[in-house]
Amino acid sequence: MAHAPAHPGDHHDHAGAGHHEHDHGHDHGHVIVSLFTLRTILALLMLFTFLTVGLAQAEQLVASTFHVEIPQWINVVVALFIAAVKTTLVVMFFMQLKYDNPMNSAIFIFTLLTVCSFLGFTALDLGQRQSIDRYKGQQVIVGGSGGLNKGVLIGTNNTSIAEAARLSAQNQNKYKPYHDDHGVRRPITEAGFLSPRPILGSSPNISRPVVGPTLPELGAPPAGTEHGHSDKPAAGQ
Amino acid sequence: MATIDTHNPADHAQGDGHQPDLSLPPHERYHAAHHFRDSNHEFDAVKMGVWLFLSTEVLLFSGMFVAYAIFRMMYPEAFIHGSSLLNWKIGLTNTVVLLLSSYTVAAAVRAAQTGNQKWLQRHIVLTFILGTMFLLIKVIFEYYPKWQEGKLPGQFYSYPYWVSPAEPLWWGVYWGATGIHATHVIGGMGLFLWLLIRARKGHFGPKHYNAVEGVGLYWHIVDIVWIFLFPMLYLIH
Repeated sequence: MAHAPAHPGDHHDHAGAGHHEHDHGHDHGHVIVSLFTLRTILALLMLFTFLTVGLAQAEQLVASTFHVEIPQWINVVVALFIAAVKTTLVVMFFMQLKYDNPMNSAIFIFTLLTVCSFLGFTALDLGQRQSIDRYKGQQVIVGGSGGLNKGVLIGTNNTSIAEAARLSAQNQNKYKPYHDDHGVRRPITEAGFLSPRPILGSSPNISRPVVGPTLPELGAPPAGTEHGHSDKPAAGQ
Repeated sequence: MATIDTHNPADHAQGDGHQPDLSLPPHERYHAAHHFRDSNHEFDAVKMGVWLFLSTEVLLFSGMFVAYAIFRMMYPEAFIHGSSLLNWKIGLTNTVVLLLSSYTVAAAVRAAQTGNQKWLQRHIVLTFILGTMFLLIKVIFEYYPKWQEGKLPGQFYSYPYWVSPAEPLWWGVYWGATGIHATHVIGGMGLFLWLLIRARKGHFGPKHYNAVEGVGLYWHIVDIVWIFLFPMLYLIH
């Protein structure tokens, strides 16, 4: 049989299979990760998945039972941290980056740094907008700069898309003011004897500054009555 | 009866005139392209190429993540309420399904490395089935009900029970992010079908499993993206 020319890497197969007692076997310099390692990493991934769900549920429970407002960034940081740990496990072991040419790690890490730059600079910009114009502050509310409330649907008379959806449901008598929960069972902490958290404005536990033009609901005087003007004609006319 | 598989580069006549030994399976008679030193060199080059492609995929998804970050910072109530309309249990199920599929694809690579043809094919089929489960759960329990209820992006929104008028925007982020991810899952499943066809022809073995490795890496990135999407979409409180 014609023997293949002696290429440096194409030597015959060693008995690289079945080294279960080692963490990984070697074949032509390719690392073979053991099934035990793969299954352990899978178990860890499941564990972290349930951990992230458990922490989110615990956060909700604490917030509704004690009526405290947990800052948004805690929710984000905890969730992203656990996701980062899971990603590291997948990348290092399932994708075998741990055993791989360091160039591939450099490529991946560089990409991650690029994504972090996108997110970082964007968040930095958005977080600081209110220092120039207050109404451009981070949290946009109803009655803000007005762009949100211009509809694109034909014939909606400048109502927003969401507003038009509600109006159309009401017109068709499909809008139930006490909206049912579609059969989703809610936890006991959301029972009626605990008051719901307000969305707009401050609560006894937390001060929620409202930015934007002053809304009538919050005590702005009606239009035309500022500075002592009145609609009545001047005396003597 | 071994036949020449004209799609297998192993079966082209070698430059120095010797014909392939047809008594060996295709993966045993594989010969790397001639501009590479040997099979290992080709494998390393293929791997680095795939990692570079995965970088572009990460940057693609980072566009959606930055859009999510911007709109979440600007309209937190819309995101909180929108997230409460999602069922985290379905999201958790999908996460578990994808993590299992990541395990099966890593095990498929290992089966190729150890020459275990039976389990290579089985793991490829298992990964395909798990991917299908992911898509079915998503469409049947998430996409279709939301379409019925009007929880659609932007102009198509018609769900009347909104809390913030920015909710069509939240649904735009939801449908955009999960839609692009689902498209990648569908693409991945096509790749696994291709892998299965080649595996049944005996193209993969300890000396040559480049395609299995490449598709596996792609599938892990798809899984990692979902690992981030799940807490970011379903666990906002």
